[in-house]
Amino acid sequence: KKMASKIRVVLRPVKSIVVRFCPFESDVESTRKFLQCINHKKIQATNRNCEVTADVRHDGSEPLVDVMFADGERLIMKGANLTTIEMLTALGTRCNAKELKEEQKSKKKKP
Amino acid sequence: KMAALSGLTPWRRGWLPALQLVRRGSKAVTRHWKAMHFQRQKLMAVTEYLAPRPAVPPRCLGPRRETPQEDNGYARLLRRQVEEAFRDNRMIAICQYNSMPDEDVVLMRHYLRKHNIQVKFVLNEIVRPVLSQSKYKNLLPLFVARNILLVSPEAKVREMLRVLKGVPQVNLLGACIDDTILSRQGVENFAKLPPLEAAQGQTVGALALLPSQTSSLLQRGSAHLTALLDQHIRQLQTGETGSAAEPPPAQSSG
Repeated sequence: KKMASKIRVVLRPVKSIVVRFCPFESDVESTRKFLQCINHKKIQATNRNCEVTADVRHDGSEPLVDVMFADGERLIMKGANLTTIEMLTALGTRCNAKELKEEQKSKKKKP
Repeated sequence: KMAALSGLTPWRRGWLPALQLVRRGSKAVTRHWKAMHFQRQKLMAVTEYLAPRPAVPPRCLGPRRETPQEDNGYARLLRRQVEEAFRDNRMIAICQYNSMPDEDVVLMRHYLRKHNIQVKFVLNEIVRPVLSQSKYKNLLPLFVARNILLVSPEAKVREMLRVLKGVPQVNLLGACIDDTILSRQGVENFAKLPPLEAAQGQTVGALALLPSQTSSLLQRGSAHLTALLDQHIRQLQTGETGSAAEPPPAQSSG
């Protein structure tokens, strides 16, 4: 069992994250915890340019996490039935994959 | 082996055994594990600790009923404080707190204190039972993850929103102003409202509009008659010629 705050995500390939939820609903717990973990010092330190915005609504809509990557890709996670750890690991794996791709590209360019 | 005791004193100061057993050149206290003497080994083996086994294995016993946790005095104090906060303050805003650097926390507290708004860090497990027993049951789903309460006896919503806009890590979830539960949208609308006196003046004006319309309608007939009479008098005065000042045609005035 892993604690949600222990998962380290490298936010370098991420441009912006929008977390939308309606606090009066009952299924927003994991999304709120996700927002809390994302705002941690160490994760924020990996990328200072990444803007994290929280959109608080009251229209009964489901909780949503919208991640915009630097290369134009978009990741939408509907947090109604996801746990915090799942969302963090999903984001983490995608970030790591993009990091590897960028490293390979820069290695190919250099020689 | 022991040195011979001599004299009245039982022990001599600075006593060294005359014969010292030395074997293989290592001293008594070594840095490595030294093998014990065989007699000592036997003694240790015989006197090993044996854990006492319960007569009935715990699996066979029935399920243990959990003793209810006794009420912690500290928890009671915190609950009382939360109840007081809900009673004494007109405005209570609930915000989600994501970790912020400490200086920013202090700055935010300072700015809010200027407007007489207090910042309280609360624990969900304390607030939830308090809310479920009071009339604020609809605030229950808000208390998940870390929250802070901004309490104030006056409802200075505009200043609070301004301060919170400068702090991105604190997200306003909802508020309870004058025993009315508002969402974030409601709070923003509340901030845009004009002050109470202006709102009262607007209401009075709207209410007084209809009777004034009625009175003007009623007076329209006689006002029309007086206007016509005035015009006729003026005509008579300007046209000096003694045309018969006939009495103006009697108009049936309403």
